[in-house]
Amino acid sequence: MNSQHDKNVSLTRRDFIKVTGTILLVAGLGDQPARAEGASQGCTLPGQFLLQADGIPPADGYLLVDIAKCQGCMSCMLACSLIHEGVESLSLSRIQIMQDSFASFPDDLTIEQCRQCVDPACVTICPTGALAADPDSGNVRIVDKEACIGCGLCFQACPFTPSRAVLAPDDEYDGQAKSRKCDLCTNAPFHWVAAGGGPGGQQACVAVCPVGAILFTDEIPEQDGDSGYRVNLRDEVWGILGYPTS
Amino acid sequence: MNGYAGKILRLNLTERTTSIIPTSDYEQWGGGHGIGSAIFFDLVPDKTIDGFDPANVVTIMTSPLCGTLVAAAGGRTEVQGIGVQSYPIGWFTRSNFGGRFSAMLKYAGWDGIVIEGRADEPVWIDIRDEDVQIRDCASLSLWGTNTWECQQSIWRDVVGNGSYGDWFSPRGPRNGHTTQRPAVVAIGPAGENLSRVACLMHDAGNAAGQGGFGAVFGAKNLKAVSVIGTGHIEINDPRMLLETRLWHKANYAFDLADLRVLSTSYQFQDPPVPIALWAQGRPPIGQRPQSCLGCHSGCRARFADGKGNEATCFTTAFYPDAASLDIQRATSDLINHYGLNAPELIWGLQYIRFLHQDGLLGTGGIPPCPLDFNTYGSWEFVEQLVKMIAYGDDGSGNESQFGADISNGFVRAAERWGRLEEDLDSGILLFPYWGLPVHKEPRAQGYWGYGTLLGDRDINEHGFDWLKTLVYVVAPEEREATAEGIVKVITDRMVPFDGDMEMLNFSESNIYSEHMAKLVSWQRYYTRFWKQSMLFCNNRWPDFLNANSPDQLGATGIAEPAYVKAVTGQDISFEDGVYLGRKIWNLDHAIWTLQGRHRDMVHFVDNIYDQLPRVSVDAGIPDVHMPGIEHGRWGFYGYSQRTLDRDGFDEFKTRFYRLQGWDTTTGYPTRSALEALDLGYVADELEQQGKLGDL
Repeated sequence: MNSQHDKNVSLTRRDFIKVTGTILLVAGLGDQPARAEGASQGCTLPGQFLLQADGIPPADGYLLVDIAKCQGCMSCMLACSLIHEGVESLSLSRIQIMQDSFASFPDDLTIEQCRQCVDPACVTICPTGALAADPDSGNVRIVDKEACIGCGLCFQACPFTPSRAVLAPDDEYDGQAKSRKCDLCTNAPFHWVAAGGGPGGQQACVAVCPVGAILFTDEIPEQDGDSGYRVNLRDEVWGILGYPTS
Repeated sequence: MNGYAGKILRLNLTERTTSIIPTSDYEQWGGGHGIGSAIFFDLVPDKTIDGFDPANVVTIMTSPLCGTLVAAAGGRTEVQGIGVQSYPIGWFTRSNFGGRFSAMLKYAGWDGIVIEGRADEPVWIDIRDEDVQIRDCASLSLWGTNTWECQQSIWRDVVGNGSYGDWFSPRGPRNGHTTQRPAVVAIGPAGENLSRVACLMHDAGNAAGQGGFGAVFGAKNLKAVSVIGTGHIEINDPRMLLETRLWHKANYAFDLADLRVLSTSYQFQDPPVPIALWAQGRPPIGQRPQSCLGCHSGCRARFADGKGNEATCFTTAFYPDAASLDIQRATSDLINHYGLNAPELIWGLQYIRFLHQDGLLGTGGIPPCPLDFNTYGSWEFVEQLVKMIAYGDDGSGNESQFGADISNGFVRAAERWGRLEEDLDSGILLFPYWGLPVHKEPRAQGYWGYGTLLGDRDINEHGFDWLKTLVYVVAPEEREATAEGIVKVITDRMVPFDGDMEMLNFSESNIYSEHMAKLVSWQRYYTRFWKQSMLFCNNRWPDFLNANSPDQLGATGIAEPAYVKAVTGQDISFEDGVYLGRKIWNLDHAIWTLQGRHRDMVHFVDNIYDQLPRVSVDAGIPDVHMPGIEHGRWGFYGYSQRTLDRDGFDEFKTRFYRLQGWDTTTGYPTRSALEALDLGYVADELEQQGKLGDL
């Protein structure tokens, strides 16, 4: 499920022009180190995070999931779009539950969450620096929507399937395509507590999950394979309810 | 219109056309059932038509809460139209199923679907956001498939050249994308062959079981409705919705770190333990709970062998004498595949076993039965029985009058065999109201049977059912205080009848009283709006008592309006909702009256008045203990070992009709009652048809 493969995505002509133009722009910037120096001195240009592309610090937080414990209610997905966009939408959710009613446990369901990769391809490829590790938010990989040009390269570059970057029209930008990805609820306009989210705060999917199938951790999970992110969160109480614990 | 998609899809299968009804035209009814009834009233000028008539209109409705984070309300779908299961006629009726269909419909931009007419060839409906197509079944060879095969074929078609597990755009490039499979509601062979006990199936185990809507679909040549939505639902106050859900979770839902209730997942407080009623329990294999969209506590499961996936409740109670657990679990799948109503099969199989035991099959008016009762308990036996009902034959493709008879339901079969009255009276045919299978014991839980008789179907509303379990958990010395205390806190919530504790006094002296009329009325009103229009789950709501809350009180009365406010912005108080429920209930009653309902028709079969339950405490069946006052003291008393009194029930009807403001002689609605509910146009129609009552 998580191997890289051809993405089934189509960019609009407008998007293609943007991508092309952006590539040209970035190529040009690549030849101008002085531009990068400006960014490091607090320049507010959209590309201010470009300097981090070659030395991206790890994030301070990660989501782990227990696929065998999930009951498929998709409350996490509903909470995700609700807290970020203020609407209910499965298509906007940064965490994706996919299930097949007729299949056998445990292959009937999977949870695909952003891994906040230590080596994040989505950040590396972003031509404008809109997708970057935000030092003010525990280096969580965050999309700056103002800077995002909706090119879809992050969507393409994500090594996992489905892509953890979600590319969709944004009503706040007149329907212009914008990328979204899990920010651990850092930039969540509808967060329910004043302190908000991020690695030091609360994440909506973790808080709302009825069975505790999603866990936040500040420890870097094993990056190779799935084992670091897919964990066993089932305790003896789960067993008392008649479900496997191992 | 926060919470609403804003438009309702209207389909004319005869003309193969689609059009739009603005939801705002019907928003005053809330959603779900209210809107469905109002649309049905407007679009069906002749309410006396048969359910198989192409002019029958089927509505499939959502609520503003569907597809949202509201706990135990996000995934229900309400289906209405003239049914074909009840007897002597198919009443205008309702059914309801869980899962994710209603949510997906709203993500596609639709609040509901209205289906009229009859296609000239078998068709299915393909909804991809705003794109709607009425497609022939032939290209996918859907007609003849079982409900699971049908859904999987449609899934493959919708994803096109891609595969599930990745993002894809159901309407092609440049349009919205999703990772989800479409939500499909389909009929199986039973519906195609117009079995009156055929249901609608969605995913593996969500069934709209009552009313015979599978056959109504079949009569319309409609195999399935598929919907995939990539859009979103606007929410009035997203923060408030999330806060409300988390408040609800923290104070009323189960907590795995502090589990106070270990029960199957019925009430709001219960943990996610599937309602799997297989005689030998759940299999000791890998499994997970599985819930409707947005629910906090899954009441179904999926298993490591894929058998019995999402089967629940009655579907798992069928065929308890199966030779093995595997056979019974496979039987659950079997009736879901063929698309059949499980309670009908449970009591129908019991009926023909009684007939077999008495040597009556193949004698008198009963045709020979193809079943070999020596193999009862085997897979072969139940498979043949299910096929007989689904196909109306001998289960092997050969003509069989017996199979054709039971395919019409067991009450109509008994009528054809000339045995209806005798077998209803004796109790071997346990279908005590409107030709429908028994559910809760009418002698003990009067409100259940009364509500069914005064309505159109087994009410299947569990809001007070759990009271009968308290006798097993409360120590004898505490029962008086507990019963009185519980009755008080419950009845205090039952606006506008709050404070009348006698509503929950099930003693012999009270079961035909004004108090009981209030209880039945309250349940009819509450459920019509909050559960069937706003689509709060039947099992979870109302939540009166809750072991997880600090004061042991449930969230009913507080949570429902709070959620509606957060999603829609509307200030609908709990009592407002009950009032709207009364309005919807009156509209439904007007439709039944136009269909021919009269007070004289509203009665149980004689067995309920004349005999104790056939299966009694003498046979080891537990008595049904409900709250009551005996010798001046509250307690939980066994009330199933009694008969109902004909005159008493007749007096109850008078009290009930008077409470509604209806004509106590005929049961017809009155102009004053209808106009008080802003239903003057309904009174006009009744008057025109000579069905308007006098006070």
